[in-house]
Amino acid sequence: NLMGARLAGSHSDTQEPKTNPLVSISDEPETLYKRLSILVKGHDKAVLDSYEYFAVLAAKELGISVEKVDKPPKTIERFSLLKSVHIYKKHRVQYEMRTHYMCLELKYLTGSTAAVYLEYVQRNLPEGVAMEVKKTKIEKIPEHIQKPVWDTLPQVEKTEVKS
Amino acid sequence: QVLPCALHVPSATRQLHTTPACLKTRAARVRVGKGDKMVTYEQAHAPHYIGHRKGWLSLHTGNLHGEAGSAQRAVEDAFLRRFLYGTFPGLLADEVVLKRRGNLLVICALLGRALPPYKLYFLLGYAETLLGHFYKCPVRLELQTVPARVPYKYL
Repeated sequence: NLMGARLAGSHSDTQEPKTNPLVSISDEPETLYKRLSILVKGHDKAVLDSYEYFAVLAAKELGISVEKVDKPPKTIERFSLLKSVHIYKKHRVQYEMRTHYMCLELKYLTGSTAAVYLEYVQRNLPEGVAMEVKKTKIEKIPEHIQKPVWDTLPQVEKTEVKS
Repeated sequence: QVLPCALHVPSATRQLHTTPACLKTRAARVRVGKGDKMVTYEQAHAPHYIGHRKGWLSLHTGNLHGEAGSAQRAVEDAFLRRFLYGTFPGLLADEVVLKRRGNLLVICALLGRALPPYKLYFLLGYAETLLGHFYKCPVRLELQTVPARVPYKYL
């Protein structure tokens, strides 16, 4: 009976807690990132604009605070080649390659949040678009620098030197 | 050629030069004919319209500022276009669009309806496996059949 199977399923649920196989719990402390800077490069500005909308929406849904969305000016790489195969040095062809940029800066992320967000955003990267990611980590000050050196040195007795 | 600002001076009209025939660019342009030549949107527009009225036919990151692999992608693209032109003889309605997402190569082609579907499926599998073995990367071929080439103008 379908009703019997459903009740049996719910009974086993209440006895054991559901463990999601995709979620892993580890004892290591989480790495903290002060800033996550994503620079996206592409030839087509419309593609970059739509990708910016998608990335900002994904960050908002996940609860990540977006510091700013910067659009650096485009770089144009131009070069001149000879138009003809053999001679005609005076007649040339000029080509150019335009690269548009879009920089997305997110602040205060944990390591796992950053991993999830980056994986989602990178899997949906459009073709013809390249991405560079820079992470700024927050670390605890190492033990040997925590206190200034002059506090830890043993007190030297003052000896007066009479000249 | 005379600069546009110089044309307002009345004496400059005597210095007007016309372009001799050897200076005209002929790259990727279909020349005007009697009006019976059918031309698709892709063929009708010259290469200086790329990015304005035309899109790109091959999408990869090789040509971006600070990225490598431009020449290898260009050679691969040339080979892929010739290969597809030969695998689907007389069926290609328009230029093939090549997209690269990471390792995956997606080939989008528009075909005419001259062949029955089971033959098209065979050619699709054949092309995918052969290209996958050539380039050592997953290849996905997305085909779409069109009843006829879509004309944009008649030149």
